[in-house]
Parts: sequence; C-alpha cells; structure tokens
Amino acid sequence: MTKLTINGLVKRFGDVVAVDAIHLEIDDHELVSLLGPSGCGKTTTLRCIAGFETPTAGNILFDANDVVGLDPEKRNIGMVFQNYALFPHMTVHQNLAFGLEMRGVAKTTMDERIAKVLETVQLRGLGDRYPNQLSGGQQQRVALGRALVIEPNVLLLDEPLANLDAKLREEMRFFIRHLQKRVGITTVYVTHDQAEAMVISDRIVVMFDGHIHQIGGPKDIYSRPVSREVADFIGLSNFIAARVAGKDGDGGYVLDSPLGQLRCDYADSLDDGQAVTIMVRPEAIRLEPAKPAAGTSNAIPGTVLERFFLGNIQGYRVTCEDDVMLQVQAEPWTEFSVGDSLWCVFDVERTWIIRD
Amino acid sequence: MTTSTPAIEDARGQGTGSWLRDNRTLLLLLPTLGLFLAFLLFPYLNMIVMSFRNPSTSQVFAPGYTVFNYFDAIFDEDLYYLEILWDTMVFGVGTTFLCLIIGYPVAYHLARTKSRFQNLLYAFVLSPLLVGVVVRCYGWIIILANQDGLINSTLRKYGIIESFIPLMYNTFGVGLGLVHIFLPFMILPLLGAIQSIDPALEEASQSLGASRTKTMIRVVFPLSLPGVQAGTVLVFVLTISSYVIPILLGGLNVMIMPTLVVQQLLDAMLWPFGAALAFILSVTGGLAVYFYLKFTSHFMKGIA
Repeated sequence: MTKLTINGLVKRFGDVVAVDAIHLEIDDHELVSLLGPSGCGKTTTLRCIAGFETPTAGNILFDANDVVGLDPEKRNIGMVFQNYALFPHMTVHQNLAFGLEMRGVAKTTMDERIAKVLETVQLRGLGDRYPNQLSGGQQQRVALGRALVIEPNVLLLDEPLANLDAKLREEMRFFIRHLQKRVGITTVYVTHDQAEAMVISDRIVVMFDGHIHQIGGPKDIYSRPVSREVADFIGLSNFIAARVAGKDGDGGYVLDSPLGQLRCDYADSLDDGQAVTIMVRPEAIRLEPAKPAAGTSNAIPGTVLERFFLGNIQGYRVTCEDDVMLQVQAEPWTEFSVGDSLWCVFDVERTWIIRD
Repeated sequence: MTTSTPAIEDARGQGTGSWLRDNRTLLLLLPTLGLFLAFLLFPYLNMIVMSFRNPSTSQVFAPGYTVFNYFDAIFDEDLYYLEILWDTMVFGVGTTFLCLIIGYPVAYHLARTKSRFQNLLYAFVLSPLLVGVVVRCYGWIIILANQDGLINSTLRKYGIIESFIPLMYNTFGVGLGLVHIFLPFMILPLLGAIQSIDPALEEASQSLGASRTKTMIRVVFPLSLPGVQAGTVLVFVLTISSYVIPILLGGLNVMIMPTLVVQQLLDAMLWPFGAALAFILSVTGGLAVYFYLKFTSHFMKGIA
C-alpha cells in the first residue's frame, strides 16, 4: 500500500490557475475526498495524480517516488471515471482482463483474479455481458472492479456516482466505503456532493478556486468551518456580523452584534475589536415563546416570516433586528405561525466564529 | 383539453380514415423514390436486359436474346476480361488501404485537436471536393507529365536525371490520383466515428497500463470500426467504378473495368457485351462489399 504526498502542486492553463500550490498527505488505507464546487481544481488535482495533466510545479509522491513526468500507464493507478468509461466493445470479463493483460499476467492467474474481483463487486455470472447490457449500477461496479483487479497503488475516483439515480447513489456510497475499507487501498475521491463526501470519507479536503480551505473529518468541516465559503458550501448556515468584545471567563468570547451581545466557545485567540462572522447552523436553533433564563445559550428575539414543512423538519425563516434573517430547522412538531414573536435560542457551544 | 384531444389525434392521422391518411409520412419518400426509379432502377434493369441481347454490327443490338455475352467475358481463353476485373479489384483494395493508412491519422488528429484552427483544418480536408475531378486530374497532369511535367523537367534541369521518370500513364499515376481524390470520403466517416469515442476511454486504457500505441490498437481502432467500415466501402466502391481519373492519368495503359466498358460501348459499339461487363463488375463489387460487411461486423459487437 502506498502513501500519497502532494507537495506544492500548481497547475496553470494559460492564465488560469486551476490548482494553486496545494499540499496534501494521504495515508495508507485512507479515503480522502476532494470536495468543492465545479472549477475549484479538484478534478485537475486528481488528473495530475493520475498523470493526465502535467503539473506546472510541485511534486506528487507515491511513497518516496516522485511520479511527476511518469506516463499514466506507468503509475499503477486504478481510476474510476464519471461515466465509467467501460470499453463498450469488450465483455465485462474482457474489461477486467485488460489491465492484467497489459501487465502480462498469466491466463490462469488472470481468470482467478477476475473471478475474485467479480465476487467482490457482486457481479458473479455477468462476465460475458457487454457493458450496454448492464444497468447503471452494474456498470459502476464493473468500473470499480476493473480499477481494483490490477491491485493499484492508489485508487482515484472522479465523481463516480454522479450519473446514478438518487436511491442507488446512496447505496453505492456505502458499497464503495466498505469495499475501500476491506481492500485497504489509498483512495482519492472527487465529488461536489457534500453528503457523499461526508458519508464516504475519512477526511475531506474542501477546495475553492484552486486553494485548499480546510482539511478535516466530516464533523470538523461541518461544525468548525474555517471560512465562510466552507460553511456556505456544506450545509445551511446563518451568518451574523460581529465584533469581539472580550473574553467571557469560560474560555470563550463575548461578541457585539447588531442583535445584541452573543457568546461563543472558541479556543483560538482573537483580538478585542476584531471583526468576525458568527455562524450558527439552522438545526442548532431552538424556538421558544419566551426569553429563557440567562445560561449557556444565546437568545435573539424575532418574528416568524415564513414556515415550511419538509417531513423530517419544520423550517422557519425568522426576521430579527437590523434585517437579519435566521433560518431555523426545528423539530417537525413545533407549531409557530407566521407573524408570531418568539426567541431564537442556541447554545454557546454550537455558536462558531469565522475569521474574516 | 378534452375537446382538443380528437383534433390532435386526427392531426397525427391515428386510427381515422384510410391507410394513406394513417401513414401519410410515407409520402415524404415519394420524390426520392421517383428519382431512384427513374435514374437508378430503370437504367439498371435496362442494362441487365441489354446484356442478354444479341450483338449487332450495324445497330445497337440485334433481335433475340443470348447468354453468350457473359460466356465470352468469363470464359475468354486468355482470361483477358477476368484479369482486368481482378486488376480493378486490386486497384479498389489498394486505394482503399492507402486512403485508410493516410486518412486515419488525419481523422484522429482532427477529432481530438483542441486547436482553434480546427474548423480551418476541417475545411482543408473538404477543400479538394470544391474543385471538379477533371480539373484536379489536369492539375496532376501538369505536375506528373512524363516529358515536360513539373517534376520531370525540374529534375532534368538540375541534372538529377538524364531522361525521365514515368510518373503517369501507369499504375502509379492512377493510384496517386485515386488516393488523392477519394481521401476525403475516407476521412469524413472516420472523423465522425472517432469523435463519437469518449476520450475518457483512452484515459481509462492508459490508467490500466496501456501505452498510447496499445490504446490505439486495442481501444480507439476497434471502436472506430463503424467509421472504418463506412469509409472503406465508400472508397472501394468509388474506385472500382471510377472512369475519369484512370482515363486521364492512365490513358489506355491502365485498363480497368470502367475504361474497358466504355471502350466496348463507344469504340467497339458492342452495347450488349459492354452491358454484360458492367453487370459483372456490379455483381462482383456488390458481393465483395457484402462479404466485407459480414466479416467486419463480427468485430463490432457491443458497439452501438
């Protein structure tokens, strides 16, 4: 198994900088997703690892070997493409055999390995089918099998589930997750779907405009985003502009905002008077008819502007002072009406600060 | 909505009235059908009938029917006609093969280039078609002519050769003209076929350890077979039936079936025999194409 190191990777297309000096280390057995909107450089990064793009600068190391300059066919990678890229003129068996033939594997060993992989991707008995005789999910699994049967150093997946319908996509997330853990292969997974990234990854790399904004586990990324872009891209957020007023004595900070003083747990040091953005997730807010007793929560008065029902949540849009609008995801059985005055209450430890 | 539904059905011509009203889209075929009948099927039938007529020295044909025209062509003592038929097929296969070899890289480049001159390159491929075949043949004559053509006179002027190199009125000249003029008919179908191959397939092949050459042989070429098939059939059929190019660049030194047929019709005035030769050429070409298509379709399983 292989440790993948990306060191100062830069890729320019003419004047456009697609990837701007990124550093990333991916351990053995680890599944790391590159997550970001289209054009953020995640696919370019993957294609540099695969060898389909030549980096403008930087190194890509498989263990200690720099693979920059090496042709893709010499890198021993397994790659799964968005549209699967199965060879339509070959049967499933021939598709799986292709990579082994290129490696000069003997016929008997080859058949054994293919049979084993077909078992792994749950396609036993379909070896003689052509790709156009398979469903989307089956094609997807052939593509996975084809990438794995060559026992590659690194597995690269480029939006592999984007073409599947929603139900199947959710199933395949777990399938890929289990498969990767069982095989234990170093994996890079490119996606723009945050839920997919959160289900599947050990760590998520959030990218914008060719830069890495944050690297962390799903919980880190969601609860403690380092930038407004990250918070905005992953889930819904409420942002409140604020200024640091001072320490609160519990290791957190007191902040002045247009909605009054708010408190926040935050370990890093901030200067008094520093402008910051407060972030609260919609599901962290409780709605209460009366102001709660002062304690470990913040409370903001507001009026219900809109309500909508999504089944698992009851959504509200609440207008507060200074034209601030808070999105709230309450339990489905809460019953406030449009026009009700109420209090938006959220715990200090669910209040997060983003430095501007 | 309810009231308009019958009107919609009526407009589609479903279930109401006569067969013609139900299938009126077939009427769109009429102009083509008319052209086919008048200018293809009828002349063909006419030619077949002609090939069974008795020859005559004073008229186009004499009364009565015979099979001797075919007998004479096939069982000639020197195998003269069959040899010419064979040469024609060799010309066809040769031209087709050369066009494929020359055209494939061009088509591949054109299909995959990201150059902003792609349209210009495309125009270059098509540009020969803008000039008539006759004009282009005379162009080649100026270049190739054996005594005072551009190449021979230049080489002689600089003392590189003493007499001259025979560049036309031979197989070389005819082959050159055929390949040059029919090349676009090979490139265009190939271009379409290669463009329809997802570039990700080539990357997949490389990611699995295949070099560019192996990717070409194992992935790109097999997937472009529908284009190869179309292009080769087109060039083959055009070549074995071409008259102008062989006669202008080969004269009567290069005898192939179309030149032979025209010779029989116009010089010898043997219309029935000429018709028989023409029909033999058609059947041979048709059979060759049929078996070729059957053979090649074996390799196109799984390709839509």
